[in-house]
Amino acid sequence: MQQTNSTASKMSGRHWRLMFSDQVFKWFCLFSAIVLCVVLFSIVFFMGKTGVLTFEFVKVTEYFFSLNWNPGFDETATYGAGIFFIGTILLTLLTLIISVPISVGIAVFLAEIAPTRLKETVRPILDLLVGIPSVIYGFLGLTILVPFVAKVFGTQLGDGLLAAALVLSLMVLPTIGRISDDSIEAVPQKYREAAYAMGCTKLQTIFFVVLPAARRGIVSAIILGMTRALGETMAVVMVIGNVPQLAESLVQPTSVLTSNIVMQIMAVPFESTWNYALFFMGFSLLVVALLLIVFVRIINNRSEVQ
Amino acid sequence: MKKITIVMLAVAMFLSIFAIGAQARTVSGSITINGSSALLPLMLQAKKEFTARNPRVKMAVSGTSSISGPQSVRRGVAQIGTCDWDASTNVPGFKKFDGLVANKVAAIPFATIVNSANPVNNLTQQQLIDIYTGKITNWSQVGGNDAPIVVVNRAFGSGTRVNYTAKALNGATIIRSGANYKEASSSGVMATTVRTTPNAIGYIDLVYVTSGMKALSFNGVAPTVANVINKSYPIWGYGYMMTKGQPTGATKAFIDFVQGKTFQNGAVKKMKFIPIGAIK
Repeated sequence: MQQTNSTASKMSGRHWRLMFSDQVFKWFCLFSAIVLCVVLFSIVFFMGKTGVLTFEFVKVTEYFFSLNWNPGFDETATYGAGIFFIGTILLTLLTLIISVPISVGIAVFLAEIAPTRLKETVRPILDLLVGIPSVIYGFLGLTILVPFVAKVFGTQLGDGLLAAALVLSLMVLPTIGRISDDSIEAVPQKYREAAYAMGCTKLQTIFFVVLPAARRGIVSAIILGMTRALGETMAVVMVIGNVPQLAESLVQPTSVLTSNIVMQIMAVPFESTWNYALFFMGFSLLVVALLLIVFVRIINNRSEVQ
Repeated sequence: MKKITIVMLAVAMFLSIFAIGAQARTVSGSITINGSSALLPLMLQAKKEFTARNPRVKMAVSGTSSISGPQSVRRGVAQIGTCDWDASTNVPGFKKFDGLVANKVAAIPFATIVNSANPVNNLTQQQLIDIYTGKITNWSQVGGNDAPIVVVNRAFGSGTRVNYTAKALNGATIIRSGANYKEASSSGVMATTVRTTPNAIGYIDLVYVTSGMKALSFNGVAPTVANVINKSYPIWGYGYMMTKGQPTGATKAFIDFVQGKTFQNGAVKKMKFIPIGAIK
């Protein structure tokens, strides 16, 4: 390229300016990424560091396996967090049992059965549902669902695992439904055509061809829904009853990890076993949620390789 | 020499008059307030009125929970810690904070509440204690319908719970489990639960008693502001501003202002607390 001296110097000025702004932007992006990593790492580190102090005062076996949560500031205090771990596991399972069939049903309906116009109405509605703040679900659960559950089961109180699982199911439905919907939609059309060509009915095509092909996407949808169910606090604390006891039935007030943390964390002194025990509950939730997300990544990577 | 001395004296006198004058006009300094969320609206109003009169005082007010008030004063992050009970004494569940001084803000009445469909209108202290400790479990045992009693409690650390346990239940240990027992995470959840659960019993700040629930008499005395003032209704407590030692400077000026007539007869009454001067 032919250039005069003056344009060359202009060009090099522009060149340096671009080089400079590129560098600044690059460092800014790198800095942003590093800040995020540092924050995440410090959260995990701080929660863990404070949490493990519990075990200077409480035996590990007592903490995880005892069902006697009776914290306090004297000798008789016991820190059996077993009820909360069991409660969280039961609540998450119950939520998935209710929500997975329905949300996968919605996904199949949207991707395979519904006419285009209906698809275009239902999908934005599901997207809107994801954005509803959890306190609204909790409030509706408290004022409408809990009295209703009490009436149906003939109990005095409707608070408990069932009410919480119903509220959570409603909350995770759109998450699981929409991601499953996308992954079913992504199954190549030729799979369906091949199935039909071999004489499959629509039902057979869905169950034996489409769903297995979209399996990984659906599993990661379920896991993402599960992390939301695990960590949800506001809605749960309003409908679970908040009593540290093992639920003997689905409509008995009980407690889970998140609801117990939020009920008590404000009321305990900073330097106390009680506070450490609550921090360790938070740490456990954090670790489980992170592991589940790592698991989703692995599934997605493997499906890309295939 | 003499001249210089006279000039110096004059200057010194002038400066000291100026300084005294400035001090008399306003106080300066910064005050951080943290603690009870029940007292937060009152503290925010007090901040507004106080800083309008004393523009050289910087104030920061926040509300988390009662226990965080005295805690943050002890740690030195706040000059005033608001608390729904006197944190310089032992209360059920909480040890006293040594070295803190309690300064009264206002009196807060509490009420025992049941669903409005419940025919019971009065409970004695002993009946309440028996209900909350699980000895009485059916409304028919206290003159009501043949229906199980649903005990609704507030979470540990709630100022309402501390006061109610101390004044209404005489410090008794409340039951901790059962199918007809639940803990409400806030006054709002307490109100909704009692409103929607026919056989529930609970307790709440008197000002939060609304439709769908009714406040019970205690030993035959109705829960009214008048009965708190004439001391026949005992379920009430003071809200406190805890300070590290006796308050000084701007902090003292603020506390004097909150306890003064203008604020007590103004904002305190308007926000439905009872002025501290009203109770003899």
